[in-house]
Amino acid sequence: MPTDTNTPIVMKLDQNRRFMQDRIGVDQSFDIGFRTLHILDKEVNVYYVTGLCETPIIVELMRQLFEIGTETNEKKTVFQRIKNDIPHQQVEAVDSMETCITQLLSGLIVIFIDGETEALIVDVRSYPGRTPEEPDTEKVIRGSRDGYTENIIENTALTRRRIRDERLRNEIMQVGERSKTDICISYIQDVADPGLVERLKKEIQSIDVDGLSMADKTLEEYIVHQGYTPFPLVRYTERPDVAASHLFEGHVIVMVDTSPSVIITPTTYFHHVQHAEEFRQSPIVGTFVRWVRFFGILSSVFLLPLWILFVMQPDLLPEALSFIGPNEESTIPVVIQILIADLGLEMLRIAAIHTPTPLSTAMGLIAAVLIGQIAIDVGMFVPEVILYVAVSAIGSYATPSYELSIANKMSRVTLVILVAILGVKGFMIGMAFYILLLARIRSLNTPYLWPFLPFNAKAASQIVLRMSMPMLKVRPSITNPQNNQRQK
Amino acid sequence: MADKPKEQHQQEPQQSVFGKALGIGFTGGILWSALGVFTYYFHFSELSAASFLFRSYLQTDWTGTWLAEVLAVLIVGVISLVSAMLYYFTLKKQQGIWPGLVFGLVLWAVVFFVLTPLFPAIPTFTEMTSDTWVTTACLFILYGVFIGYSISYEYEEFNQSAN
Repeated sequence: MPTDTNTPIVMKLDQNRRFMQDRIGVDQSFDIGFRTLHILDKEVNVYYVTGLCETPIIVELMRQLFEIGTETNEKKTVFQRIKNDIPHQQVEAVDSMETCITQLLSGLIVIFIDGETEALIVDVRSYPGRTPEEPDTEKVIRGSRDGYTENIIENTALTRRRIRDERLRNEIMQVGERSKTDICISYIQDVADPGLVERLKKEIQSIDVDGLSMADKTLEEYIVHQGYTPFPLVRYTERPDVAASHLFEGHVIVMVDTSPSVIITPTTYFHHVQHAEEFRQSPIVGTFVRWVRFFGILSSVFLLPLWILFVMQPDLLPEALSFIGPNEESTIPVVIQILIADLGLEMLRIAAIHTPTPLSTAMGLIAAVLIGQIAIDVGMFVPEVILYVAVSAIGSYATPSYELSIANKMSRVTLVILVAILGVKGFMIGMAFYILLLARIRSLNTPYLWPFLPFNAKAASQIVLRMSMPMLKVRPSITNPQNNQRQK
Repeated sequence: MADKPKEQHQQEPQQSVFGKALGIGFTGGILWSALGVFTYYFHFSELSAASFLFRSYLQTDWTGTWLAEVLAVLIVGVISLVSAMLYYFTLKKQQGIWPGLVFGLVLWAVVFFVLTPLFPAIPTFTEMTSDTWVTTACLFILYGVFIGYSISYEYEEFNQSAN
């Protein structure tokens, strides 16, 4: 982050103090700590942010400073002595006021010494945060239970623990005029596509905004140019093992401080339909799980439109399936019933996100017993509507990517409306549009439906079947890896 | 691109992309004509691949069975090699999905207007329902995009790695 101005630190401590007072309002903000010490007859000013430093370390540091003050029999200057005697591994001398301020607000201690044009910065930061725990959205039965946290340093450490390769690069940069958010790009240097890394860096550096409050999501909108596509153009994960396996495949990971989700690029549609659980099972079981999941995802999009089509035109059904469709007449058109039920379910889901757990049990009861049952009893819904809406809702929940499941839900509602208006033509045109619109998307220059459209036999077979690790000899070509060989 | 390290590609360049184009043609033929069987089963369309290939020439009951449909799908896969070759030799340098879309529509027009005299069991265009028109046209468009986009993408990828 280039700072606009660069004010040098001056010899006069008073002037520095006034500068700090003007810029960060030391006596106005209560969370900025300031203390004046006298060491060897020199005035020393110490600044820190109370919430972001660890008190025992500050106390220890000060004690050390006082001890310097009691011994006078050396020829070194105060500055040199302090710099030499501070018992901490990260001590740095800087000469610009702006750097001091940025570092101070990141949680470092800044020490100004009278008569010096350099200040000392000690990295004692400790951010409030939680310890790694299993992410709620990506649970597995077996396997590691750690997940990324809100702390970018911890996140790089979690990745590094899995890839002790000297060629793993974690490049950090700061974005946001006011927020100065840390962003880390991780990639394996001799595997990842250098073009992609360059492109990401350029996109990130060109961001000029005051703050990335929604962290990774805000950043995503800058780097993929989402437009009006409802489909997720990057994949998020909170699992370090998933991130590591993508790094090995040649993907580039982007982490944003303050968010436990990391961004995996480049991403295709089929990255959103895989789940870590499949890779924890034997290949055959993993394949089975995956097929069931695909069936769920397909039915979450196409089941309701297909059913409503058969309700409207029962003559389409072959003899063997003629039982499909409601037996009794209903007053409300079935299309309207479906839309009401589907949107109602969506409302329930939205409500469940921010309802506290004790209340959500009650909410579930109301939804299931009162609404579902009684809507049928009073003749508003036919029972089959509830069945099919529920099946496609389960299909949505079987979609591993939360973002994709909602985008698919929107496609489903659109398809239902199209079918209601145009019948068979609506279904076919809708389906063709769904596929063509997806195929047209290019996320970071990667075709979204790869390896299905454009078709790549090898990669497609790895989507259809979950291959065992010893069989995966090369990296997927979609990442343009520089080094193709995974194993001999 | 994934099957071999890129250095090996450069020794037999054209054949490699051409071989892939054939694979794409075969898969595309099977995939979309199988979807065609699905639309035939649910009466979206009065026609499936078997209507063209078997029911036009053979009058036995056998042509209405599943086996006939499966065989017809496989035969379409083979015929599709020809259209993939056609695309490869004419349009492979075009990028994006639009050329494929037009290619599919042209194929559809050829099959339904030009080639219909070859298939006695196929009703004339005006005798078909409008649902059949739309369903078959959508399938041909998806097929065309599948063939076209895949071949041109392979070609583009190959050129990038060669440079």
